Amino acid sequence: MFETATELEPDPVIEAYKKDVDRTLIRENLRLTVEQRFENLERLQEFANEMRRAVASAEKRNRGD
Amino acid sequence: METDFRGLIRTLSQAGVEFIVVGGAAATGHGSARLTSDLDIVYRRTAENISRLVSTLAPLNPYLRGAPPGLPFSWSDETIRKGLNFTLVTSLGALDLLGEITGGGYYEDILPHSLTLTLHESECLCLGIEWLIRVKRAAGRPKDFEAIAELEAILDEQRQS
Repeated sequence: MFETATELEPDPVIEAYKKDVDRTLIRENLRLTVEQRFENLERLQEFANEMRRAVASAEKRNRGD
Repeated sequence: METDFRGLIRTLSQAGVEFIVVGGAAATGHGSARLTSDLDIVYRRTAENISRLVSTLAPLNPYLRGAPPGLPFSWSDETIRKGLNFTLVTSLGALDLLGEITGGGYYEDILPHSLTLTLHESECLCLGIEWLIRVKRAAGRPKDFEAIAELEAILDEQRQS
């Protein structure tokens, strides 16, 4: 089941996806500590949930509920 | 509900639970900018560790995520021993307990490929980036393609710096 520690062979599908990766974000994150990366994740999650609630609320208002 | 990633990690590590962070949270640790909603951990399936895991999480009221309330779900050593992987909701958020992961195996199998992450108030083991990529590749889920591409780009950046 387990691969030995060999180099990862490039996968053509993944290589195609890699072209769209924003490396500026990666470089910024690599400058942060692990703690700061988790802080960002938690803030992003909070923001995403706030946005979902806001959209749900706006849709409800538009329906006239 | 938001997941308190650092709170869950701190709770488990301070109680001495043996676990390795995998999945999206591990990717965050390595520098991913992608959003993930749950903490995935591979836990060691020894009787002692299962007992510690159960007693540590009990105050957080773990319950099967997405299941209707009132199911006869008992949070106990026996439940964990009889099962393997559990998707849970707790008072600190969503937590996936994995006894085994596709392409990686059990805790003991991935332990040599893990590294220690230092957080402000705790330390934990996290699957190394190369093995995180291998595991995600092995899962073969189209939804992971973008995440794998980002992890491989992070690996490229790390090797270039």
